[in-house]
Amino acid sequence: MQKKICMLGGFAVGKTSLVRRFVQSIFSETYLTTVGVKIDKKSVAFPDKTVDLILWDLAGEDDIGSFRVSYVRGASGLVLVVDGTRAATLAVALTLRERAEAEFGAMPFVLLFNKSDLADRWAISDSEINELRQRGWQIYLTSALSGEHVDDAFRQLASMVSK
Amino acid sequence: METLRQLLVGREISELSRVTHLLDEPEQLAAAVGSVLPSAAARVPHAQLGEALAPAVERAVQRSIQKSPRTLTDILYPVFLPAIRKSIGEKIDQTFQSLNETLRHIFTWHGLKWRLEAWRTGASFSEVVLKHSLVYRVEHVFLINRNSGLLIAHVTADNATSEDPQLISSMLSAIQDFVKDSFNEKEQSGLDTIRFGELRLWSEVGPFATLVAVIRGNPPEELHEIIRDVLLRIHDECSQALEQFDGDSSQLAGVETQLQTCVELKQEESNQGFPWLVVAAVLLVLIPAGGWFFLSWQSGQRWQAYVSRLGTQQGIIVAEQKVRDGQFYIAGLRDPLAADPQSLLAGTQVDPARVHSRWQFYQSLDPEFVLKRLTASLVPPDSVRLSIVNDRIVAEGEAPDTWIDRARAAAQQLSAGGPEFDISRVRDVSPEARAAERWQAYVSRLGSQQGIIVAEQKVRDGQFYISGLRDPLAADPQALLSGTEVDPARVHSQWQFYQSLDPEFVLKRLTASLVPPDSVRLSIVNHRIVAEGEAPDTWIDRARAAARQLSAGGPEFDISRVRDVSPEARATKHWQTYVSRLEAQPGIIVAQQTARGGYFYISGLRDPLAADPQALLSGTEVDPARVHSQWQFYQSLDPKFVLKRLMVSLVPPDSVRLSIVEDRIVAEGEAPDTWIDRARAAARQLSAGGPEFDISRVRDVSPEARAAEHWQTYVSRLEAQAGIIVAQQTARGGHFYISGLRDPQAADPQALLSGTGVDPARVHSQWQFYQSLDPKFVLKRLVASLAPPKSVRLTIIKDRIVAQGEAPAAWIDRARLAAQQLSADGLSLEISELRELTPPELTHLREAIQAVDIFFDSGKAVPGPEQLPVLDKLANQLKQLAKDARKAGVTAQFMLTGHSDETGRETAKLSISAARAETVRALLKKRGVDPELLLVRGAGTFEPAEIENSRTGNSANRRVSVTVNFH
Repeated sequence: MQKKICMLGGFAVGKTSLVRRFVQSIFSETYLTTVGVKIDKKSVAFPDKTVDLILWDLAGEDDIGSFRVSYVRGASGLVLVVDGTRAATLAVALTLRERAEAEFGAMPFVLLFNKSDLADRWAISDSEINELRQRGWQIYLTSALSGEHVDDAFRQLASMVSK
Repeated sequence: METLRQLLVGREISELSRVTHLLDEPEQLAAAVGSVLPSAAARVPHAQLGEALAPAVERAVQRSIQKSPRTLTDILYPVFLPAIRKSIGEKIDQTFQSLNETLRHIFTWHGLKWRLEAWRTGASFSEVVLKHSLVYRVEHVFLINRNSGLLIAHVTADNATSEDPQLISSMLSAIQDFVKDSFNEKEQSGLDTIRFGELRLWSEVGPFATLVAVIRGNPPEELHEIIRDVLLRIHDECSQALEQFDGDSSQLAGVETQLQTCVELKQEESNQGFPWLVVAAVLLVLIPAGGWFFLSWQSGQRWQAYVSRLGTQQGIIVAEQKVRDGQFYIAGLRDPLAADPQSLLAGTQVDPARVHSRWQFYQSLDPEFVLKRLTASLVPPDSVRLSIVNDRIVAEGEAPDTWIDRARAAAQQLSAGGPEFDISRVRDVSPEARAAERWQAYVSRLGSQQGIIVAEQKVRDGQFYISGLRDPLAADPQALLSGTEVDPARVHSQWQFYQSLDPEFVLKRLTASLVPPDSVRLSIVNHRIVAEGEAPDTWIDRARAAARQLSAGGPEFDISRVRDVSPEARATKHWQTYVSRLEAQPGIIVAQQTARGGYFYISGLRDPLAADPQALLSGTEVDPARVHSQWQFYQSLDPKFVLKRLMVSLVPPDSVRLSIVEDRIVAEGEAPDTWIDRARAAARQLSAGGPEFDISRVRDVSPEARAAEHWQTYVSRLEAQAGIIVAQQTARGGHFYISGLRDPQAADPQALLSGTGVDPARVHSQWQFYQSLDPKFVLKRLVASLAPPKSVRLTIIKDRIVAQGEAPAAWIDRARLAAQQLSADGLSLEISELRELTPPELTHLREAIQAVDIFFDSGKAVPGPEQLPVLDKLANQLKQLAKDARKAGVTAQFMLTGHSDETGRETAKLSISAARAETVRALLKKRGVDPELLLVRGAGTFEPAEIENSRTGNSANRRVSVTVNFH
C-alpha cells in the first residue's frame, strides 16, 4: 500500500535533512529548487502490511503565497515541520496545513518540532506543546542530527493514513 | 354514523382529500415532487437511476439536436475543442513524420528495396518507409493515479531497467503539476511528451489515471492511438476501482496485462541479409552471354555503316557485299582519285583483317573527278581558280598566255564526252608578267649592291613595292632603276638607313666623322682600315674611340701609324685662343702676332679702360714668359668705353641712368640743372668723332627739387623741436601744407622758417595749441606761472623737476601747491631741496650760531665745566634768533647734532653722539631756550670736523654742532 504524504514547513526548518537519513530517494535535492518538489519514499512495515509513504518534500517558503497547493492534491497525510528554535515557523506550518485542508479537506498529520538538539536556543515552551497535544495532535520533538523520534513520527503517520 | 365517521377518520378524510387534490392538480403535484426530486434522485442507487434515465436523456439529447444542434454544440464546445485540436495536431505530426522519412529514404538503397516491397505488398511507399525507419521499443509503461500521483501499475520490457517506479510516477505527476502551474496551462490533457535524447515519455491522460509510456527510439505517431486505446480499455474495465484508488493496487491486478500489450510494442531493424551469392551466380552466367550477343550485333551494325558510307562516296561504285562467318566481302569500281576504301575503314571500328575487298579502277567523268584531273595536269597558277558550275568546269582569274594555250588544248580534249571546260573567264596577264620579270631583275641587282639590304618586295596590281635597309653611302636605289625598264612611277620604295660594316663604307664614314687632318691618310689594306701620318693627340683620341666602337663587329681600324704632334700644336692652339680672345675684347686692337721658335709676339693698341691683355693670359694655358707684347694706348671711341669714361667724369646722380642704344649713349631721368650743364659740355666734346651723347631725355628738376629739399629740412627741423608734433605735411603744386600740435612754450614754427630757404608765402600751416607733458615744457610753464625768485634754480633731473635754492616761505607754499597739482598729472616737482630764504637781518646771527661747537672729553656725554660759558652764550643767541625770526614772520628751528671721535665701538660712537646732543639740548632748555625749537640727532663719526688718521681720537670731533632752519 502506498500513500502520498506532503511535508510542509517554513524556510530552513530542516524538512529535507530530517528525511535524508530515513528515506529512499533517487532524486537530488536540486529538484527542490528547480521543480519545487522532491519525491522520497519511506517504507513502514507493520506486522500485517507494509505502507510505502511517498513523501512530497515541498520547497519551504516563508512566503506562504508562493506555496504550490496543487502539489498536495491526492495526499493522504501531512508532515508539518517546525523549527524549534524559531517560534514563527510554528505559525507558518499551521497556516500551510490550513491552506492544504481548505483545498483538499482534512487529513491526518504529524507535527514535528525539529532541531531538538539545539536545547539552548529552544524557543517553544512546553506548555505550548502540551496545549497542542491536548487537541489530540501527534507531536514529536525530532532531531535530524540524532534522528531522534523521526522514525516514530513516520510510523505513527503511516498507521494513521493506512487505517 | 356520519358524525362518528367524522370523529374517527374526519381528519384522515380531509388529509386524504388534500392529497387527492394534490395528485389531481398537476401544478401542485409538480411543485410537491419538485421539492423532493433532488434528494430522491440522490438516494437512488447510481446504476438504477442511470439505466432509468438513459433512454429519456438520449431522446432528449436527440430531440435537442434535431431542434437546434447549436445549443448542444455550445454546451459541448469546451469539451470537444481540446480533443479535436489534439487529434489534428497528432495527425499533422504523423504526416510530417511520414514525409520526413519518405524524403530521407527516397534515393537510397533502402529506398529501392522498400519501393519493391511497397509494390509487392500494395502498401504506399511512405508506409513502408515509416515501417522500416521507425525503430523503437516501449520499455516501461506506468499507470499513475491522476489525483495523488501514486503508481497504480508498472510494466517493464525485458532487459529494461529503471529506478523505483513509485518515486518515478510521483515525480512525473509532480513535473506535470509544475509545468501546468509554472506556465498557467489550463489544459486538462497534461504533459504530452517528454523527450530526452533517444528516450521519449509519452503520456495519455484519462479521467482517473494517466498512462505514461517510456519509449526508446523513434516511435510512429500511431503509437499515441494505441496507448490511448489501452488507457480507454483500462478505464472501461476498472473505472470504479480507479476512481476509488487510495494507494492499494491489489484491486487493479488485471491492469497489468493490459499494460503488457503496450510494452510488447516495438519495431526492430531486420537483420536479414541480402542474397548476395545467388545474385552473383546469376550475374556470372548472364554477363558473358549478353556480351557476346551485343558484340556480334554491334559489328554487324558497324559493317553496314561502312558499306553505306562507301556507297555515298563519289568515284566508288559498290557492286557486291556480303557477310559470312564473321568475314566481310566487298567488290566494285573506283576512280584513282576517289577516296581509298581501305582508309575509310579507319574510324568505323570494323576489323580491317576481316574485310576482303576487290576494286577495279575506272575514270569517272563526274565533273568533280575531271576537275581533280585537270588540276593535276594543268597546274593552274595561283591566280586561276577552277570550279564546277552546273556540271561545267569553269576557270576564272588571270594567267599568262602560255597557260591559257595549254588549258585550251585540255578543253578541246574534254569536249568528247566529258563535262565542258570553260576558260573564257581567264584573263591573259602576260604584259604584267613581263613587267614582273624585269622587276625581279632590278630587285636582284639591288640585292647585289653593297650597303643595300632588301627586306621585302612584292608586286600587286601592277605596282611594285620594295622596302629594306640602305647605307647612306651606298648607291641610290632610285638611280639604279634607270636602264631596268621598270617604270619608276610604279615603284614604291621604303628605305631605312643603316650603317653598313663593309670596310669601304666604314672608311667613308670615318672620313666624314673624324675629319682627319691633311697630314693623315686613311686607306683599306686587306679589309683593315689603316691611318698613317701625323695628328694631334685629340684627334688620335677620337680615332682611338672610333676604333674601339668598330672593334664590335666592324673592320679593324689601325691608327698605330699616326704620330702624335700635340705639344707644339697645343701651345699654338692656346696662343690662337688667346689672340682671338684679345681680338674679341672691346678697346683692344691686335695689329700683328706671330709664333716663332716657341715664342709668341703680339703688338697693337689698347684703351686704358679695356681689359689688361696680361690679365687675360691667365686661364689660357699660354706661358706668359714666352709672350712678348707691345701695346700702345689710345682712346677707344667704342660707345661702351665712352660710357665708362662718362660715368667716371660726370658722376650722374642716382636719378639718371646712362645706357647705350644703337651705338648712341642715352641719358634718361631727372637731374638738377648743374649736372645737365656739365653733361651738355661732355656731349659737345664727344660730337667730334665719338658716339652721340643724347641728354635730351634728362628732365631739369632743380627748382622744385630744391624747394622740396628745403621743405623737408624745415619739417625735420620742426619734428626735432620739443613741444611740436607734426601730424601731417604735404607738398602740392609748389605749396606746402603742414598741420599739428604745438605747446605755447615751444618754438614758433613760423620763426623757424627763417634761414631754411622755404618761401613763407607758400607755407600753409595749421597749429593747435596743447600742453606738452615733456618735463622741459612743464618746467617752462612752472617758470611762467610761479615766477621763481633768482635764488631758486629749477632743473630737470631724470624727468623730475627739482627746485633748489632759497625762497621766501610764501613762494615755497605756492610751489608746494603747484607740486600737488602736477602730481595729479603724473609729474613730480621736488621742493624738498628748497631752503627758506632767511631774512637778511637774521643771517648774521644764524651764521654766528652755526659757528659754535660744544666740545666733550673722550668717552664723556656731558661737556666739561669750561664749556658752560659757551653754552650760556649759545642759549642767549638762540633765544634772540627765535625772537627775531618770529618778528620776521618765520619760525627758527635748531638742529643739535652730536658727533664722536673714532675711539670705541661703532654703536657706542653713534649712541654717544646722540647722548651728547641730548645733553646739550637739556642744558639749553635749562637756560631758557624753548625746547620745541630744539631738534636732536646723532651723527657718530660720519660728519667729522677733521679727518682722523690715528685711532687715538680727536678732541675736535667730540662735539655738538648747531644748524639753524627757518620755516
